[in-house]
Amino acid sequence: MSSNTEAVTVAAQGEAKVRKGRKQLSEGARAERRLGWMLCAPAVIVMIAVTAYPVGYAIWLSLERYNLELPQAIKFVGLSNYGAILSSPYWWQALKVTVIITIFSVAITLVLGMLLALLMHRTLFGRGTLRTAALIPYGIVTVAAAYGWQYAWTPGQGYLSAAFNHSAPLTSEVKAIIVIILAEIWKTTPFVALLLLAGLSLVPEDLQKAAKVDGATAWQRFIRITLPLMKPAILVALLFRTLDSFRIFDNIYILTAGNNGTGSVSNLGYDNLFNALNLGIGSAISILIFICVAIIAVLFIKGFGTAAPGTDIGKR
Amino acid sequence: MMAGRDRPPMRPQRPAKCRRLLPGGRRRRTVAGLATAGLLAAGLAACGTSGASTGPVTLNFYLYPDNSGATQTAIKNCDHQSGGKYTISYQKLPNGSDGQRQQLVRRMAAHDPTIDIMGLDVTWEAEFAQAGWAAPWTGANKAQAENGTLKPSLQTAIWHNQLYAVPDNTNTQLLWYRSDLVPKPPATWAQMIADAEQLAKQGKPHLIEIQGAQYEGTTVWFNTMVASAGGSVLNADATKVTLSTPAIKALSIMKQLATSSAADPSLPVQMENDNRLAMEGGTAAFQLNYPFVYPAMKADNPKLFKHFKWALYPEVIPGVPAKVTIGGIDLAVSAYSQHQALAFQAALCLRDAQNQLIAANVGGVPPTIASLYSNPALFANYPFHADILKELENASVRPKTPVYQVVSIDISHLISPPSGINPTGTERSMISQLNNALQSKGLVP
Amino acid sequence: MATVKTTPRQKVGWGTANLVVIALALIPVLWLLSLSFKTPTAVLDPSFWPKQWTWSNYFRSTGILSTSQFIRPLLNSIGIGLIATFIAVVLASMAAYAVARLRFPGKGLLIGMALLIAMFPVISLVTPMFSIERALGLFNTWPGLIIPYVAFGLPLGIYTLSAFFREIPWELEKAAKVDGATPFQAFTKVIAPLAAPGMVTTSILVFLLCWNEFLLAISLTSTTASRTAPASIAYFSGSSQFTVPTGPIAAAAVVITIPIIIFVVFFQRRIVAGLTSGAVKG
Repeated sequence: MSSNTEAVTVAAQGEAKVRKGRKQLSEGARAERRLGWMLCAPAVIVMIAVTAYPVGYAIWLSLERYNLELPQAIKFVGLSNYGAILSSPYWWQALKVTVIITIFSVAITLVLGMLLALLMHRTLFGRGTLRTAALIPYGIVTVAAAYGWQYAWTPGQGYLSAAFNHSAPLTSEVKAIIVIILAEIWKTTPFVALLLLAGLSLVPEDLQKAAKVDGATAWQRFIRITLPLMKPAILVALLFRTLDSFRIFDNIYILTAGNNGTGSVSNLGYDNLFNALNLGIGSAISILIFICVAIIAVLFIKGFGTAAPGTDIGKR
Repeated sequence: MMAGRDRPPMRPQRPAKCRRLLPGGRRRRTVAGLATAGLLAAGLAACGTSGASTGPVTLNFYLYPDNSGATQTAIKNCDHQSGGKYTISYQKLPNGSDGQRQQLVRRMAAHDPTIDIMGLDVTWEAEFAQAGWAAPWTGANKAQAENGTLKPSLQTAIWHNQLYAVPDNTNTQLLWYRSDLVPKPPATWAQMIADAEQLAKQGKPHLIEIQGAQYEGTTVWFNTMVASAGGSVLNADATKVTLSTPAIKALSIMKQLATSSAADPSLPVQMENDNRLAMEGGTAAFQLNYPFVYPAMKADNPKLFKHFKWALYPEVIPGVPAKVTIGGIDLAVSAYSQHQALAFQAALCLRDAQNQLIAANVGGVPPTIASLYSNPALFANYPFHADILKELENASVRPKTPVYQVVSIDISHLISPPSGINPTGTERSMISQLNNALQSKGLVP
Repeated sequence: MATVKTTPRQKVGWGTANLVVIALALIPVLWLLSLSFKTPTAVLDPSFWPKQWTWSNYFRSTGILSTSQFIRPLLNSIGIGLIATFIAVVLASMAAYAVARLRFPGKGLLIGMALLIAMFPVISLVTPMFSIERALGLFNTWPGLIIPYVAFGLPLGIYTLSAFFREIPWELEKAAKVDGATPFQAFTKVIAPLAAPGMVTTSILVFLLCWNEFLLAISLTSTTASRTAPASIAYFSGSSQFTVPTGPIAAAAVVITIPIIIFVVFFQRRIVAGLTSGAVKG
């Protein structure tokens, strides 16, 4: 579900400008209001039905001892599943892996995305080709790309393994995590670059020129002028990449299946549902991940104030 | 797993969760015994209670992908013998045993009526029985399933004193050794490690090849060691962890091997196929592995093959034969099948003596019918048939519990890498983790 | 920049940078393509290009395009993707129109909800959905995937479309009516053509989202009756139990990449606009 985040950037920001001052409710306004609600109702119903209801149900399941293999032994156990998870080293390992992957892939993607954006913005020719090429990693099915990486890193089979002394990086924890991060970076840098490119085009050219006249170096201009003006775009990219990265599943599922301690929290949740068939533990993991994501989102929005999308929502 | 001669050696795989203890080599063999398989199944005449349907009923048979052709032959035989009552449709499950289980379990959880017969790994029966997914065997079907079947194989299919599947094939590990290096095979683990260390001092090939990666194969090793030390992992009803002293003894030996000069440096990532390759490569003196290594050695390294001999699995307690973990596949009838009566008949047919002999000779999977081990048709491909039978009759079964998957993953994560074992400490953590697993409180990594 | 004269050195510099980026973007895709043309024995050869090319991973008895193991999931992917996209874009258009054009309380709530869902960890849905869909008989059916896909396509659709709708000069509608057009004509002749590009872009983005989805696709299906192409690849079985079907997997990966390449090549501008318009105009 990675690409659903992007367009949110679109209107989350633009939304503010639609808001208009409140007026007296005339008959027309009331009709407009009803129409608005009616038009939104189907979308709202679907979104609630598919998310809010299951999450509520997951909360209930997470309070039960519920193994699919033991249908006779289902019972209410309160918070015991959460206790089991939070005292399990596997949860903390998965959380650690997820956080490491998130931090490194987001940080590197932002830097590379900025470079790519500058290139796309400034390059003298081939802009269209460049964008088309960059869109391919963005668009490609993650699973398809992941298989490519997996084979590339398999000794005796892959060109990358052969280039690196026939190493088998996917069989050791640290190296496998590096490969996973590389795969994530490859896949997501183009999207970040496009977002930042949009931000770059907001930086007025004459400001740059004026600074140049004043003798500022290219680096100084980038730090003093470009970056501050791009702050909103950067924060949007940062927020969405972070939340997206935290949900990482596909790449790990294909590359290592979470072996050797390389599973993310999503992989942990999946394995506990489909390997252990433990709906109780699986649901509790789901809820914990949901809480983590909510905390990240709140931290971002609180930390970055008005610059982050969704801020105006918070205020309403 | 063992069949994986063509698997890229270091391919990262799902450990723990994935491997089946299934015989090896679904490699084609020269079909010596095929023609001699003239045995007819006993009770097929009595089937066909399923009423007056017009054409033959299609029974969907879900099994691992068998590319030896043995399963297809068996299906053809049974379709023919059913006299038009049913035709069996072979639905191949995915490659790894983890994928196979997930596939079946999901459909069972959704009460899928299109599954009739399922090939279950010998560790899944408790789970499928307890969840109500496998139909119990009763009456004449049960009697026929039990008749002449190896006791330990049958054990794998029993849950709470009720039979839930019929053993189709089985497997067990032998000790393989190089007679040019070791004139007399060691009888015990202590002796084997001492021999290997001696060879190491002489600068000769000396490694002991065994499975040590974080996966099912290593759980199998542990189970064999605990059982051979006179203990068990769980009690009979799978309500209590019963590790104790035998487990500590088992763990000490595993640790001793892992930290001695006899250990392969890549022990922590080794699976059956890696062991085979190491022995074929000439660095090892001993190997604990399934019989698939025998034809492989014959094909890959004829020179070493001359000195490639086998013996019974080494003892843990001197004088007490080892209890080697049993593997294989059992056939179960789905509780949601709409043609259960026919499905029972078909399952019995698929594993009858004739078809098991074909499976053994063509598919390389040892039979579960005891009398076949004295059938000369088996000898050409199984020169070690007598030792296999001896081990099978005294085999140990992996812990029988609906939550076996979790139990096994917990075990393999605690004992791999084997050099990290701390016998008493590991045993203590295992008790607490397995207790959690039994109460559905555990997490799987 | 326009004032700066470009020197040949600069040209070479930018050209090299372009080439590096294009190579980095394409090499992993070309690798998959190359793998898909390798013979079963040659997949164990780490050279980048096959020494001997073969179509056998695609066609003939061994090929993925001759087995229902892949064809059926491919059809599922297309069918589920198109239906989910259609429903999501229709529902999203309604909501986006309201967001862009109407004043009503609760608009912020809608935007906030869409934002939340866009950030929603899908894994949190997997366990409850598995349970709910089993109870409702939706497990392993097309609707079982279409419904969540619509829900996850909606935020994307609402945001992208409301950005587009805001750009539409709605005065033209009034002008057309003044000129004597009926409301229907005003809509079909004036507004619809203006809205179409946004709808197309949104449809592409939503379709890509569904096409790409993996976690729900493997969790809520159990057979090829509803399993989508990306999920089916994970269940390919090899020629023996322990051989990995590398060639067929690579071929399947290439097949599911083709529509993306087509979209990207023909709709590059659209997709970029769809992804970034909001960020620009924020």
